[in-house]
Amino acid sequence: MNSKADVMHGIRPAAKGAVFRDMIIIAAFFVALIPVLAMHRVTDFMIFCIFALSFDLLYGFMGRLSFGQVLYLGTGVYASTLFSLHVSTNPLLAMLAGVLGAAIVAAALGLIVVKLNEAPFALTNLAFNQIGFFLIGSTFQKITHGEDGISSGVEPWGFMDFSNKYFAFCFVLFFLLFTFYMLTRLTRSPFGIIIRSIKENELRVKFLGYDTFSYKWITFTISGALAGLAGTLYTLYVQFVSPTFIHPLNNVEPIFAVLIGGAGNLYGAIAGGVLFMVMRDSLSTHVPQWEWILGGLLLIIVFWLRQGLAGFVRILAGAVSNRLSLRRAAGGGSQ
Amino acid sequence: MADLLTTQRLTKNFEGLVAVNQVNFRIQEGQVTGLIGPNGSGKTTLFNLLSGLFTPTEGTVSFLGTDVTRVPPHKRVQMGMARTFQLVSVFDSLTVWENLVLSNIRFKTEQQSLRNFFFASSRRKDIADDCMSSLELVGLESRASSVTSELSYGDKRMLEIAIALSLRPSVLLLDEPLAGLSDHEIGEVVSLIYKVKKNFALGIIEHKISKIVELVDRLCVMNYGRIICEGVPGQVLCDPQVRECYWGKEDNKC
Repeated sequence: MNSKADVMHGIRPAAKGAVFRDMIIIAAFFVALIPVLAMHRVTDFMIFCIFALSFDLLYGFMGRLSFGQVLYLGTGVYASTLFSLHVSTNPLLAMLAGVLGAAIVAAALGLIVVKLNEAPFALTNLAFNQIGFFLIGSTFQKITHGEDGISSGVEPWGFMDFSNKYFAFCFVLFFLLFTFYMLTRLTRSPFGIIIRSIKENELRVKFLGYDTFSYKWITFTISGALAGLAGTLYTLYVQFVSPTFIHPLNNVEPIFAVLIGGAGNLYGAIAGGVLFMVMRDSLSTHVPQWEWILGGLLLIIVFWLRQGLAGFVRILAGAVSNRLSLRRAAGGGSQ
Repeated sequence: MADLLTTQRLTKNFEGLVAVNQVNFRIQEGQVTGLIGPNGSGKTTLFNLLSGLFTPTEGTVSFLGTDVTRVPPHKRVQMGMARTFQLVSVFDSLTVWENLVLSNIRFKTEQQSLRNFFFASSRRKDIADDCMSSLELVGLESRASSVTSELSYGDKRMLEIAIALSLRPSVLLLDEPLAGLSDHEIGEVVSLIYKVKKNFALGIIEHKISKIVELVDRLCVMNYGRIICEGVPGQVLCDPQVRECYWGKEDNKC
């Protein structure tokens, strides 16, 4: 008979220690990338990884594929930029405004979209994104300067100077690790179990007494707020924003990143984010129509690597440990 | 004995097919109510109406004296009505432990802070104690950290029942809990039901009448969407109408 202690021991190890270890690995990974790529590119990639993580929460963990996540990125970008121009030049307050702006838009639209599933969910999000793009690009042209774009009004505050590439790197890295930490805790918490079970069988979750609507809505809002966080970092870092930040076509980017990395896996979202950006950067300079390669990669993922990079690593690790244990067994037999 | 769950002239019409037809069904406090009938007679549809998966075309469902005809499934569960499904329905992608956290946590959400709900580990002590007793009840301690998809069908069925029990229902509806199980597994499930049945009123759909005839206090027989006979099992099984629809006319054992 198993004692209670045995059972508890077997259950997924306590998150805390492992999370901090993983955070150190992630930080070391991005620092190690600096000599390979330029520092400003790495900073850029890390912001994209935050965006990919926000998408992974929605798609990978809750199973809701959205074609409109860029709307919240763009809301973060424009809310923080306009705040910095019209209210305060403080970078932290601008960030707060951007994140809140994205969260409010996500919370409002979430009331409608989380009632939908699958294709209607994806396309309604796309429609809202299109509306957002239109509003920023045309309707509110007087405020946003439309296609011309605007410079943000954020000014250095104390040691917070975003034109200093070292500071910008550390600042963005901090928020990437913060996002990773929060999502790790969130997805392993009871709340995380609920949203993962919604992915598998929402109806069954209702028969456990949960009002699934509110859990989906909260997740959608958190996901939107995190996308907004990535947007505000673009504002601070790039300091010039244009409607490309809210263009619906860009929705393929987080989707690709998460598919490449492995949906429902936070490391996968980060690895996929980096890999996607590296491919976009290096391939597009060498191959005129690099999207062909992306398309081919997508086919490989869909047919052979459903779990993306994370799944591939798991299979590889399994094979290696099998081989090792076989060898050990063979070695033990010969003695 | 008080009626916990009752229906009044309950009808479900699927575009011309009347799956459940003017049914007055009841589950009483402290009783095990069996529901039998040939395939397609409307048993599962009736359970789906009771639990809120379908809304009836006509008629009402009341639970603990409240009309719940239009109440969504999750509210009915919160009121104390739990069910299992004909095809075993657990969360394959979660571990066994997480499946139990999912069903046990609902009783903790009122007491615990929002911070704990969003960020606490699913090993926290108060949650863990409840999950542990659920595991012990069905004897799945050694599988706690397994991914549920690796479990045998019988173990999944035990887990599904453990999940339903951890919702602390006052009425539990089991839809063919023995379907697809081996004789050994049937023995385990039946003895589990014996062990816990005093805690709530039980409604049970089952084809294997011989396995549950000892268990049930009252038996209802459905055919073509109607309840054609109800009463004490011995009596019901001797009813000529029941014998005809179940075994054909020639059988005259009673």
